[in-house]
Order: sequence, then C-alpha cells, then structure tokens
Amino acid sequence: MTTPTEPSTDGLFPIGRPTPLGIYLRDLWARRDYIVRVPLNDLRSQNAHTLLGGAWLVLNPLLQVGVYFLVFGVIMPIDRGVDSYLVFLTLGVFAFHYSQRIISDGARSMVSSMGLIRTLRFPRATLPLSNSVGQAVAFGPVFAVMLVVVVAHGNAPTARWLLLPVLFALQSMFSLGASFAAARFNHLYRDLENLLPFVFRLLFYVSGVLYSVDHYVDDALLRGLFALNPMYVYVTAWRWVMVSGPATGVEAVAAVAWALVTLVAGFAVFRAGEQTYGRTG
Amino acid sequence: MTALALRCVGAEVTYTIRSHRPLIRDLLRGQRPAAQQVHAVRGVTFDVHVGESVGVVGPNGSGKTTLLQATTGLLAVSAGEILVRSVPAFLGVQAVLRNQLTGRRNIEVGLLAQGLDRAAVDDLVPAVVEFTGLGDAIDMRMETYSSGMRARLHFSVATAASPEILLIDEALAVGDRAFREKSARRLDEHRADSGTVLLVSHDLGEIRRSCDRVIWLQDGQIVADGPTAEVLAAYEASCTDRLRPAERGGPMRNPVPHARCMVGKATSRRAIVPGRPPTTSDAPTTTAR
Repeated sequence: MTTPTEPSTDGLFPIGRPTPLGIYLRDLWARRDYIVRVPLNDLRSQNAHTLLGGAWLVLNPLLQVGVYFLVFGVIMPIDRGVDSYLVFLTLGVFAFHYSQRIISDGARSMVSSMGLIRTLRFPRATLPLSNSVGQAVAFGPVFAVMLVVVVAHGNAPTARWLLLPVLFALQSMFSLGASFAAARFNHLYRDLENLLPFVFRLLFYVSGVLYSVDHYVDDALLRGLFALNPMYVYVTAWRWVMVSGPATGVEAVAAVAWALVTLVAGFAVFRAGEQTYGRTG
Repeated sequence: MTALALRCVGAEVTYTIRSHRPLIRDLLRGQRPAAQQVHAVRGVTFDVHVGESVGVVGPNGSGKTTLLQATTGLLAVSAGEILVRSVPAFLGVQAVLRNQLTGRRNIEVGLLAQGLDRAAVDDLVPAVVEFTGLGDAIDMRMETYSSGMRARLHFSVATAASPEILLIDEALAVGDRAFREKSARRLDEHRADSGTVLLVSHDLGEIRRSCDRVIWLQDGQIVADGPTAEVLAAYEASCTDRLRPAERGGPMRNPVPHARCMVGKATSRRAIVPGRPPTTSDAPTTTAR
C-alpha cells in the first residue's frame, strides 16, 4: 500500500468541504458567462415552437395591458381614487410580476437542473442567479411597453426617472435574495412550488396593485404596516418614480432595507445548503 | 518522484438514505421515516501522482462511485481529507445535463458550467460536436438520446476542457466500438499530456489496457493497492472463491463462471462459430400454407 508520507502536498487544496465565502464568490464570478449566456439562450428558445417567436416577449405584456384596458377602461370604467387608472394598473402589474417571476422560477431552479447538479461541480448559486438575469433581460420589452403607456398618457419624463436604475437594482436584489431562499426550501420540500401561486395571489391583492392604498387606508400606523410588505413597497416606488405617485420616506427606506436584508439573508440561507443540493437524503 | 495529483487521507463518506423526507404526518406523530446510514467509504488513504492512471475495482456497492464523487466534490467527506491539484472532472453513466435542450446546447451549458469563458466555449464547441460523432443528432433534444449517445456527449464535454484529473465511472462501457477506441485514444493523449486518470470499471481487460496501478475496494476500504497484474490476479481469485459455494450444489443451478467479474476479454466467453454468418436464405424453407 502506498503510504502518503514523503511527496509534498504543495499546490493541493481540500475538496468536498464547504468553500470559504471568498472562493465561493470567485468561483461564481468565473461562471459569469454561464450566468448571462445560458438564460439568454433559454429566452431565445422559449418561443421556439411558436409562429411569432421572440415577438412574444413584447406581445405578452402588450396583450396584458390590452386586456386591462378593455376591462377597466371600456367595459367597467372605474377610477378607484386614481387619475389614469390604466397607467396606475400597468405600472403596478408589471412591477409585481417582475418579482413574482424571479421568485417562482428561482424556486424551481434547483429542482429543474438536477441533472446538471449531479453531473458537474459548480457553485450552485449560479442557477438562481442566472434565472434572475434572464428575468431581468425579459423585463426589457415589458419596460418598453410600460414607457409607451406612461408617455402616451401625457406623463413627460421627470428628474425622478433618473432613479429608475436604482429602483430596478433594488427590486432585483430583493427578488434574487428571496429566490435564493425559495430555491433552497423548494429543493427540500416541493410543497413551496404548490404554495407560491397562492402566496403571490394574496400578495397581489394586499400590495395595492389594483387599488390605491392611500385612497382606502388613512391611518398612518396602518400605512406603516404596509411598508412591511416588500411588494407594496416596490409597486409604490415605481409609481412614485414614473408618474409622481404618492410615497413617503418610510417606503424609500423600506425599499433599500428590503433589498439589502433579503439579498444577504437569502444568499446565506442558500449557501448553508450548498452540500445538500442534488441529494435526496 | 513526480508531483502529487491527489491525496486521500483517511477519507470517509457517510450519507443517510431515507425512504422519504419526513411528511407532516410523520412529524405530528413524532415518527421518523426509515433512515439508513450508509458508510460507503470507510477510511481510504492513497496518493495519485501526476500522469498516473489508476484503476479502481471492487464488487457492486464497495464504494467506488462514492469515492470518485467525493474526489470531485459532488459528495462531502465526513471525515479525513481529500486534497487535489485541480478540480477533477467526473464522468458517470447516469450523466444527464439538461434533457430538454439539444446536444449542442448541452455542450455549451456543460462547458460554461465548468467555468470556461464564452470565447473559449465558442472555440471549443465545433471540435466537441465533431468528437461526439453524433452527426445530425447533435441538434436533437437530449431526451431522445440513447444511453450510448449520452455517454459520447458527456465524455466529449468532460474531456474538452482538458481537465488535469479525470475520474471515469464505467462511462466508457456504454459507447460503441468506434467510440471506445476514440475515447481510449483521447485518454492516451490525456496521459501523455501528464494528465491523471482514475478509472472505475468492471471490465478488467479495459483496466489492464490503460492502468499501471489498481486499487481494490471492498466494503469501502482498500484491500489492495499496487501494480495492475498483482492486484487483478488477487481480485480475480477472490471473485472465483466467492462463486464456489454456489457451484458446490447450492440453489443456483448452472452458474455462469466468473459472473461477478468479467475476466480478460469479454468476448472469450462467447462461443465463436467459424464460417459465414447465417442469412435469411438459411432459414427452413417449409412454407406455411
């Protein structure tokens, strides 16, 4: 038997151990081309079996707005305490859906890449991260439709629009953090996948997507409680930036806090499970 | 003495197999689902030097695959340590990447996941496609592939990035003859390029051809570690010993000799009938009315 004694172990490093954070992040950075390119290709092939192909990326949000316009603008015109309800609704729905898609698709990202996880060794955070990048890119056409609706309704760009990248970054950070946590839990128990649609349905109704919370809730304390709902915070922030909707400092602070806390905590939760992904035990 | 490629010191791998994850019902009743601790690798120590080709043999369930998976970092070691010079590439039989994607896209995904940048990937893809020899099937979705085709694709992807250390788990056995020869050539090139190989196989002929040293694992421990000829001789003898009780009038009638380990050339067990192969014209000419 070879007794490992004399040859030096210079240049060797341990494997099968949790990777220190610095090296983990370095490995993740080395996957940046994966993180960008794979979701882009997925987006491209997503509509491979359709007649209209990539046009669906724009058509889908257009049709959504079309339906809202038909229902709330033509069939039953109601204002629910807001001026241009179509703009109000468009901003709310698209901002909400952006986070929803990152989190629900992110939750499935481990489970749906089991083959890859069991075959190749790479930092698993690559998967939720690349999902988020894909959703961010897919948000491009959605954002274009948003802009058209906003400007067509006579809202000229204001200085607040300069905050758009910041808002987008904050919301993306929050959603990515939540998707990290969701990915780990859904890998453990697929129940989450079944629950998430209902969680988001509920959030949709309590986040002021369809109605103005200002209009219905006068109590300042109660309004403060709404800031505890990150989806409400980001929906409100979009309206504040784009069409000078009402917002307070509480919401601004909450938008930053939710982004930072969720991203750091979500990533920590995800990484703590790094060794468990791909196994069933 | 050449530099070390990898070192295993008292490596142990233990994992828990449960019949299922605890359901809420189990948790409420305070029951745990049946769980079994599997001590698959129990204190294994060996060194592999750069440029060495080491065969790993042992009966099913002896911990060969687990050892390889731990060496590539897919499984965690529960005690001891595995040190490597670079992250080894692992080639297993159940290799699946992303079934819904085409072979070509899988090559790209596999290379990117290994940390290659997009310029390198763009350079490599045509060569990898060529090496797989899959032809037009490369643009079919991988769920339509046979296990041999998957193995070809996976071997091509894993070796394309020229890993220093290659761990092969029975992955060559499913390919057809042409591809096995091709992959054997690539392994030779890999070794010539001072690459290191760990090869798990039940085809002892394959191990004889490509390994100068063999580790024999049994119940997660090393039984022998030494030159191929010596270790394989001892291993074959032990396989025959274990068959003997059955041959001595046990319940097993008509036992196949050497069923547990394929000794020598696999073809030697098949009767070879000289002459031309039978054709349909040889069939009995009695016509059914």
